[in-house]
Amino acid sequence: MSDTPLLEVRNLKVHFPLPGTLLKPKSGGSVKAVDGVSFHLNRGETLGLVGESGCGKSTTGMAVLRMTPVTAGEIHLEGNNITDLKGRSLRTLRRKMQMIYQDPFGALDPRMRVLDIIGEPLKVHNLVSGRKAYRAEVMRLMELVGLLPGMAERYPHEFSGGQRQRIGIARALAARPEVIICDEPVSALDVSIQAQIINLLKDLQEELGLTYLFVAHDLAVVRHICDRVMVMYLGHVVEVADSEELYTNPQHPYTQALLSAIPIPDPRAESRREVDPSIEGEVPSPVNPPSGCPFHPRCKHAMETCRTVAPELKDTTQGHAVSCHLYEPTSAAMPQIRVASMA
Amino acid sequence: MSDTAVSQPLDQSEEMPVTDPADALLQVENLHTVFRQGRRAINAVNGVSFSVGRGETLAIVGESGSGKSVTAMSLLRLIPSPPGEIIDGDVYFDGRNLLDMSEDELRSVRGNEIAMIFQEPMTSLNPVLSVRQQLAEPMRVHRKVKEENIEARCLDLLRQVRIPDPEARLDAYPHQFSGGMRQRVMIAMALACEPRLLIADEPTTALDVTVQAQILELLKDLTRQHGSSMILITHDLGVVARYADRINVMYAGQIVESGTALEIFENPRHPYTLGLIASMPRLDAEEKARLKPIEGQPPDLGNPPAGCAFHPRCPFAKPQCREQDPPLEPYRGNHLKACWVNVDE
Repeated sequence: MSDTPLLEVRNLKVHFPLPGTLLKPKSGGSVKAVDGVSFHLNRGETLGLVGESGCGKSTTGMAVLRMTPVTAGEIHLEGNNITDLKGRSLRTLRRKMQMIYQDPFGALDPRMRVLDIIGEPLKVHNLVSGRKAYRAEVMRLMELVGLLPGMAERYPHEFSGGQRQRIGIARALAARPEVIICDEPVSALDVSIQAQIINLLKDLQEELGLTYLFVAHDLAVVRHICDRVMVMYLGHVVEVADSEELYTNPQHPYTQALLSAIPIPDPRAESRREVDPSIEGEVPSPVNPPSGCPFHPRCKHAMETCRTVAPELKDTTQGHAVSCHLYEPTSAAMPQIRVASMA
Repeated sequence: MSDTAVSQPLDQSEEMPVTDPADALLQVENLHTVFRQGRRAINAVNGVSFSVGRGETLAIVGESGSGKSVTAMSLLRLIPSPPGEIIDGDVYFDGRNLLDMSEDELRSVRGNEIAMIFQEPMTSLNPVLSVRQQLAEPMRVHRKVKEENIEARCLDLLRQVRIPDPEARLDAYPHQFSGGMRQRVMIAMALACEPRLLIADEPTTALDVTVQAQILELLKDLTRQHGSSMILITHDLGVVARYADRINVMYAGQIVESGTALEIFENPRHPYTLGLIASMPRLDAEEKARLKPIEGQPPDLGNPPAGCAFHPRCPFAKPQCREQDPPLEPYRGNHLKACWVNVDE
């Protein structure tokens, strides 16, 4: 691993303007989907980006891919600023960053054969020359993801959800990318199939040295694949840490609530856990986010400062950063909060 | 929600209502539901028998296409026909056979003695009726609640499902609620007539995890308060471990294993149950632990394999499994399995 991270995002903001009303056409305001997010991604690692719907995790992924306009901030890939790339240089960049989508039914063109779906990036980026090499490369990719090469002439509807997700993965690999952004790649799949795809992603990473940005809402899935995890809430990063550290020592009240809300498939372990009912209500609208800390209306530790001052993301220990007033040195009360122990 | 709620202890011998079939609230026997597609018949529910005790929460788990939702819909004869048809079986609710009832009789049971909560609250609520109108409907129809009492009763229901500021929300429309709040309205509707059995079909699948926890805790508290029974249909083994007394595991239209939560999770006897538990990502797993998937795909129910439907994916399969479909039989007491193999061997 070199010193410069493969991908670096600095103070990224993505705001979507809202349409105004008939009488006030310009005062529409905006949805602050991503509001000042910074992180880095090292070569060969998997960074999990987790949070509930509307937290900005998918938008962050899309912005990194340059698939949605960036309002402010910078994105660097291999040390180069790619925030404002256009035209030909943007197209070259596209090859280096690929995406695996959530919905294996919507992400594949129903009128294309699997051969052409997987092979399209090869054509677009001129990665092979000649029909023979093209076919051979598609066959190699199909085998790599566990599809029988004999299926190449078939259409997407002839495949099950898990197989379609394999097609999507093969297509992403075709471009030989530096970074793959996986946007909820297994959440539409059944449990037994989910495990097949998670294992496939891990094997491919080991074999090909891939780097993943893994966007997901399911912290249990994330635990099985990620090296580091970043938790988002209403467009902000609230906590980031090594995976093991985050699961055993979660510090932000939101991360703690999120972890305790997820049931463990083991009745004995469940009976020992506390179901933390402290997290009341639902995620507020990002159109009109709360002042101060975005989590304060749902936080059982909220103090006066939390209502007015937005906390900054600061390291508490090496590699573990939290955005919460409770952990600031001036704060009188360090929280003695226990999360459900993971016996 | 109340103060820190510790999940109930699992000392099942004392805590659990023992299900003596004679005393069961609901008794399902040999239920068969098919869907016809031209000349093809899909056996979505293929000989399912089970019972639900009074005050008990029974979970039906399985993956998509296992027949868990069709089973639930069949109980209340909510299967669209055609193409669906219940071709065999009996469903006794408190001694009366729901499958033999006239439409009128059945209508007096639906939404009254048995209520249902669906996965998608937006499509299950009527978008052009206010919450007040939708909550009042079952009370007017089934309970003949006096008009002057209806408002108070509606407000009481909204309070029970913990919707903040119920007075202000009573005349709101479904689109003005968030997903979690809509599901609360659905639950309030389901509770309007204090049903004895609540069927919850993936009640939290469309919701975020923190909201899911709130809704499931709410369902647990309310069923306990009213002493109602619940059938909880889900694909999430974690939810099952936290909330179910007993579990039916379904695969390809059949129950493959049935037992208490502890029996199923600590001593699974069917290879499919074993596989399902091993493939489930866990919050308490070793870091980056490798999952053990079930290889292969679920069968095509229009053309199921001979013998045991699971045998093509089963690591334990022996010749008998390819030829004979195993019956659901007691393994020990009320712990049942449909498998020819001893998974310990």
